[in-house]
Amino acid sequence: MRTITNTLIIGLVLVSFVIAGCGGPPQNNPLLTQAQNAYQQAENDSLIVVKAPVALKEAEEALEQSQQIWEDKGDKKLIEHYAYIAEQKTKIAKETAMLNAAQDEVERAETERQKVLIEARRAEAIAAEQRAKIALEEVQQARNETEKLASRLSEMEARQSERGMVLTLRDVLFDFDSTTLKSGASSVVNELSNFLKEYPERSIQIEGFTDSIGSAEYNRNLSQQRADALKMAIVRTGISSQRIQTIGYGEEFPVATNMNEAGRQQNRRVEIIISNENGVVTQRTQ
Amino acid sequence: MRKLTLFVLLAFFAGACASTKPPTQKITQVETSIKQAEQVGADDYAPLEIREARKKLDQARTQVSQEKYEDAKLTAEKAMVDAELAQIKTLSAKSQRAVQQLRESIKALQEEIQNNLDKERG
Repeated sequence: MRTITNTLIIGLVLVSFVIAGCGGPPQNNPLLTQAQNAYQQAENDSLIVVKAPVALKEAEEALEQSQQIWEDKGDKKLIEHYAYIAEQKTKIAKETAMLNAAQDEVERAETERQKVLIEARRAEAIAAEQRAKIALEEVQQARNETEKLASRLSEMEARQSERGMVLTLRDVLFDFDSTTLKSGASSVVNELSNFLKEYPERSIQIEGFTDSIGSAEYNRNLSQQRADALKMAIVRTGISSQRIQTIGYGEEFPVATNMNEAGRQQNRRVEIIISNENGVVTQRTQ
Repeated sequence: MRKLTLFVLLAFFAGACASTKPPTQKITQVETSIKQAEQVGADDYAPLEIREARKKLDQARTQVSQEKYEDAKLTAEKAMVDAELAQIKTLSAKSQRAVQQLRESIKALQEEIQNNLDKERG
């Protein structure tokens, strides 16, 4: 009984101690005020309200706890404890909002990047189309030029062979056993000269041939001199000698029989081979 | 009846005032939270916050060893929000940087496309 009374007294003292804390208006707590201000600011920030509602709510709850203890004139340590929690939670709310906003931004930026890439591919496609058009025009132009060249050469009775365009001239250039150009050859010379002027990237090779009358050595010399004579005539019209090669084949490579005059006439000839666009003439192999 | 009232009163004060057990679980939670913050790179992005969390964790441990369990609990709670802040701040900063980089890459991409187009036309 005695111990119970003692305990009761202690209990009463404790209760009165707690109640004593209640007297008078509570003093402002600077840490609580600070937390209230921080929270107020966050609550007015629509970004935080929208992007971090849960964190903001947690801050509010801690703040309310702090305020409640303060109003009840509770333990200062606890007031400041919850004020601290509230302030940190407010900061967390702010960072959470920024994090969420950044993630939204990443999504938006990713979408934009995709758009740019699609745009790039389109631009690339347009550019490719442009390139294709230019290439097509170039091909067209090359074909036109080839046709023009072919028609020019056909005027000179050129024919297409596996070595390219070949112009064969018979009898018109030289008299029998002569290395001097006949007067009638000037039109051929002019024709070739004009052609070489018109197509500066091309060159020609003049090949001389004879029939089999006379020695092979003699005939080779004769055909060489005739090819050279034609070359000199063309060079005199202003064509670079670099662009004209000459070869005397003599009686080699007959195109007909040497057993009769008709065949021999066929074999007495000058062939003019037109180079390709790079100025290269394919050499005779047979 | 009196006995009961007293008992309730005592129980009430005991519950409200002093924890009789160390806040072991809370301290473990703080340790985990700090570890998580460290893993995302809080030492680079939120050095003050993570330092504060570690300091309070140490303080809570000290209070436990001094058998100030109630104080230890409060300190651990503070350390917990510090660690949480450190982690979220780090993630936030990293995201801002990612946005920045993405924006720059888009800009570079646009410039490159423009250059290519100019080259095409020129």
